[in-house]
Amino acid sequence: MRGRFLLSMIVVAIFAAAIGAVVTMSVTQTPVQAQAAQPAAIDGKANFSGIWQANNEANWDLEAHAARPAAVTQQGAYPYDYARVPAAPVLALGAAGAVPGSLGVVQGDGQIPYKPEALAIKQQNAANWIDRDPELKCYLPGTPRAMYLPHPFQITQSTNKVHLAFAYSNTARTIHLDQVEGPPDNTWMGHSVGRWEGDTLVVDVTNFNDRAWFDRAGNFHSDALHLTERFTLKSPDVIWYEVTIEDPNVYTRPWTIAMPLYRRAEPNMQLLEFRCNEFAEEFMYGNLRKEQLVKRWEGETMTIDITRKVPPGDAFYEYYSK
Amino acid sequence: MRNRFPGSMIGVAIAAVAIGVVVSVSVTGTSAQAPAQALKTPWGEPDLQGIWTDETTTPLQRAPRYASQEFFTEEQRAELDKQRSELLGRNKRVERGTELDVAGAYNAEFVSVKRTGARTSMVVDPPNGRMPPRTPEADKIMAADREFRLALLQSTETCKNKSVACNGGKYDPKPSARRTELPPRYNTARMNRFDGPEDGALPDRCLTLGLPEFGANAGSFRRIVQTPGGISIFYDVGQGQGWQRNIIMDGRPHLPANIRQWYGDSRGRWEGNTLVIDVTNFSPKTDFQGSRENLHLVERWTRTGPDTLAYEVTIEDPTVWTRAWATKQDFTLQNGKENRIYYEPRCNEGNYGLPGLMRGARTEERAFADGQGPHPATKDIATDFVGVEDNPFE
Repeated sequence: MRGRFLLSMIVVAIFAAAIGAVVTMSVTQTPVQAQAAQPAAIDGKANFSGIWQANNEANWDLEAHAARPAAVTQQGAYPYDYARVPAAPVLALGAAGAVPGSLGVVQGDGQIPYKPEALAIKQQNAANWIDRDPELKCYLPGTPRAMYLPHPFQITQSTNKVHLAFAYSNTARTIHLDQVEGPPDNTWMGHSVGRWEGDTLVVDVTNFNDRAWFDRAGNFHSDALHLTERFTLKSPDVIWYEVTIEDPNVYTRPWTIAMPLYRRAEPNMQLLEFRCNEFAEEFMYGNLRKEQLVKRWEGETMTIDITRKVPPGDAFYEYYSK
Repeated sequence: MRNRFPGSMIGVAIAAVAIGVVVSVSVTGTSAQAPAQALKTPWGEPDLQGIWTDETTTPLQRAPRYASQEFFTEEQRAELDKQRSELLGRNKRVERGTELDVAGAYNAEFVSVKRTGARTSMVVDPPNGRMPPRTPEADKIMAADREFRLALLQSTETCKNKSVACNGGKYDPKPSARRTELPPRYNTARMNRFDGPEDGALPDRCLTLGLPEFGANAGSFRRIVQTPGGISIFYDVGQGQGWQRNIIMDGRPHLPANIRQWYGDSRGRWEGNTLVIDVTNFSPKTDFQGSRENLHLVERWTRTGPDTLAYEVTIEDPTVWTRAWATKQDFTLQNGKENRIYYEPRCNEGNYGLPGLMRGARTEERAFADGQGPHPATKDIATDFVGVEDNPFE
């Protein structure tokens, strides 16, 4: 039941993402000149300035996985895990709602070394993806998830700061190369302090809260998260991005993910807004309208009826804080 | 200007602390004097980097009593500082238990006060320090919008008591039939109804307003980071809200007209030591003093000294104003090591206010339907501050 009323919300979210991409691509006006030429070095160090984007399946699931029919599935005709079918919330998307397969980005054996009790939470997260994934509510993506969301981000590198501006939801990170005091409170994106090891930018990220996820598969961390990121320019248009993830509350040992980030080489590339909290408003608050707005969808083969509900009592507030 | 209060009083507190520390730093006041030659980046561009804020408060428009006086005298500033600091922490209340008292919960107790600025107004052109007259069409649109909001207020205590929030309207115990209508145009401000999210003000929805950014009660901070041919600006506008812009510096034209953005489209260039940014392509959902998708800004950022930056904006919208107008502010460099900028906007992540407002409205409707409460139209859920604070600038 819970799944059905949210069906169209997923449609909206995914269409919004798709449209975002289309808009970016359709700005094909002839540019006066290519993106401002960047010097190879700033202050004698590798220059990462530019617009970048991951081109992988990490935001679906960091771990190696075969393609599956949807992010939310139910038992199919057979009782086997490999024969499940899409569940109601994503059924109308057909193959566009499927999860692409991936060899994963987790180094070594490809598995996240969860403690047993943490693994149980991860599995609950996955089963309750629609209610729990912060991305569906357009909450801040956290670090490192911001780096491999299916949205571009821009690096502006100076001598004392490296600023990262993400298209997704106005998210930002400032990597401090100089000495600064930390934040007064825990954060979604962490507090980033960088240093150079040769031409590799090494960033220590701390002061996290426990609310962000790593992907749409329910992989998560606690507020004890500590990241060590390594940015290395493999070629002018490829950054090799590596993160070691430590969190003794959740994992039995540190683990590492690694992936290339590619330069968006279109000469007219620029970050466009993706202010998704507006797009998620109907998903989050449509149940509180005086009159239900998104009620029913009719295609040639399918009619979808949406029933909104308001969580009772404290659950109402818990929903917004998940 | 309506501000957003749920959530992050921390932002205000931090701003207050920062401002408290630096209040004695004087603002250079006037204009782009010859900047010191050392204020360049290693790659030779003017260096605007750091965290900047206007450490003083200057009203957008000049009070008519100052006529063509562009700067306060020292005596006038001292007197205004005195009057304004007397408001600081004053817990002025109206009759306890009334709607107006509850609506005034965020009074001067919660607002930090910065020193009075050197200028009598941010507006420097026209020379009277006031926005130019609106076009007749814009006046008509504003009037229709106001009339709609007043209709929604007509059955409330606010109108019954002839509070200033009801100016231009009148009390009528019978709820207006307009309660079921759409506003004359896309809503950006709070109204006395909460049928859905769109009835809320944009800040209620975490859709913070953008440019031009003049700072609300607690002011605002901007961090500028530069790279050769690139500039990124992150704004901390208080209350846990913020946003960013990345200035395109390579001379290419603006975005196609069908792409509209909340923060517009910024194209920058250097004119000598001044960064000039042309901003267009605003969304019709934005609203600056009545100007929406046709707003056109030309910003001029000039480093005027080691700790000072002049910020000038020319504001133009022929559909709203009869002529272009211009503002000027002076920003002061903040301590980079203290790093007291809130660069993680997380309004949406803690927005209990918006669902709470809607749930409250649904609850009141149900109570009324069950004969357990008054008609929701007789309650005022839109008005705050009114009648509680004085403004010595006026």
